[in-house]
Amino acid sequence: MASSSDVPAIETRALTKRYGDVVAVDRLDLVVPTGSVVALLGPNGAGKTTTVRMIATLVRPTSGTATVGGRDVVAEGDAVRRQISLTGQFAALDPNLTGRENLRLVAALRGHDRATARRVADALVERFDGAEFADRTIGKVSGGQRRRMDLAASLVHQPSLLVLDEPTTGLDPRSRQIVWGTVRELVADGVTLLLTTQYLDEADALADRIVLIDHGRQVAAGTAAELKRTVGAQRIDVVAVDAAGLETLRSRLSERYEVSVSPELRMLSIPAPAEVDDLAGVTDAVAATGVSVDELALRRPSLDDAFLALTGRPPARDEADEPVPAAEAA
Amino acid sequence: MQLASPTRPGVAREVRETLLLAGRSLRTIPRVPERLLDVTIQPVVFIVLFLYVLGSAVHVPGMSYTDFLLPGVIAQQIAFSVIGAGTATAVDMHEGVVDRFRSLPIARLSVLTGQVLGQFCEALLGVIVVAGLGFALGWSPDMSFGDVVVAITLVLFTLFAFMWAGIVLGLSFRSPDAVQGVGFTIMLPLTFMAGTFVPIAGMALVPRTIAEWNPISPLVAALRELTGGPHSAGGSWPLDHPIAGAFIWSTILLAVCIPVALARFRKLTDG
Repeated sequence: MASSSDVPAIETRALTKRYGDVVAVDRLDLVVPTGSVVALLGPNGAGKTTTVRMIATLVRPTSGTATVGGRDVVAEGDAVRRQISLTGQFAALDPNLTGRENLRLVAALRGHDRATARRVADALVERFDGAEFADRTIGKVSGGQRRRMDLAASLVHQPSLLVLDEPTTGLDPRSRQIVWGTVRELVADGVTLLLTTQYLDEADALADRIVLIDHGRQVAAGTAAELKRTVGAQRIDVVAVDAAGLETLRSRLSERYEVSVSPELRMLSIPAPAEVDDLAGVTDAVAATGVSVDELALRRPSLDDAFLALTGRPPARDEADEPVPAAEAA
Repeated sequence: MQLASPTRPGVAREVRETLLLAGRSLRTIPRVPERLLDVTIQPVVFIVLFLYVLGSAVHVPGMSYTDFLLPGVIAQQIAFSVIGAGTATAVDMHEGVVDRFRSLPIARLSVLTGQVLGQFCEALLGVIVVAGLGFALGWSPDMSFGDVVVAITLVLFTLFAFMWAGIVLGLSFRSPDAVQGVGFTIMLPLTFMAGTFVPIAGMALVPRTIAEWNPISPLVAALRELTGGPHSAGGSWPLDHPIAGAFIWSTILLAVCIPVALARFRKLTDG
């Protein structure tokens, strides 16, 4: 294995791609340590795909450098291609071949003889639970099945580094879960993963580290928790049924908590650094007042909030994190 | 966890990859019967239309119309293979399957050579079908062994050259539909103004001039001459020397199209 753990799986320095006057990727510094999962998160057109295509040697950088396992993507393209596996946004399979035939072809092109290629393909079909559709031509299977075969094709040579470009865009929820499950298994096996996504929940669910990019530039980077923290702390919201109740709550709770009130919402907010422990305390305190409340919930700032705060734009999909379920009434 | 890797040196590796990729292209023929219809039904329609509908009005001195027509239809078939090769190339670029190949540790040239070889075999199949149909309908070429060798060499060489033109076409337009549209708009009139169905001598000035210098014309004339027709009476150097003319035109086509195809492919590669 070429890369020892002190050489990052991917490292870019001031990586830039210009198309005429348009700067698709702008001096991006990105490090993906070996064994980690990094998500490149950004809206459509942020430069995610261009970035991974440069890393996978499909697009030549205008300036800056990118290395994969210490090998330069421009000067040592073949060495990079031997380590990396890219699964693109659109299934890169021959639609007129079956899934199994596609896998065999990729295995053969990777240098396996006919018998080995056959064995590798069969093993992958089994692994991806594809027996039922692997012998249908790719053009005739569902989007989720195609994506699974595509992912399988990327695993023919058991890559130590996998790059997934928007792996679940356009997939139905069930296929999405299957792809996520496969990705988690791979990560558990020690595969280093760089994925791009415009879905916050996907980055949240899969990645150790999230790099937020917009207009080809890095806007923020950190764990999901760190990014959420940039927008503010978690809090507990209590909604009273009427104004009188709200006033009672305010006077009683402000003895113990730092309370802020939004009268027009009949809502009162309390910072909750200890999260669930605070929630229990507040719930008891509210119950002790005997006031009826409509809602009592712990709210964490969502990645959506972070996204909005950092890019000035709402995320691609309007799917805000649900509040953590809490006691409904006291 | 690197697997024992496929770095056989140079040419052997490239040949292997080319054959694998060409094989992919050929394996899909039975799956997409429309593709084969393109190279069979269409020439059949032309043969039937001209032989039995329009041909009766065409007078060709010194030979039967069937013997006149078949070399023309075969040449047209070769020329039309540009469209098939172009469409297949555009489809591949469109589908993203080329991205897969390019992200593999294989020679990038293999992606193109595999495409050329695959399309070449498919187009050749079309030519064979047309010739076979011709024999069935009474085409009786009068050829020496030497003529046969020259004719086959000429067909293979020209087809190879037109394949590369098709690749250039396929790499020049984004959508397969555009390739088809542009391809037909260029190739249909060009194959008609080549002495394919009627003698060039009777054409009006402008189409006649086009026909005299059209790269398809010497191919038609050469095949006609090699299959027992009279020596073509020209109007231009290529028509006076059709066999040499056809080889020269194909060489020019290759000299232009191969570098252009490589450059375009590289350009698409580098974004």
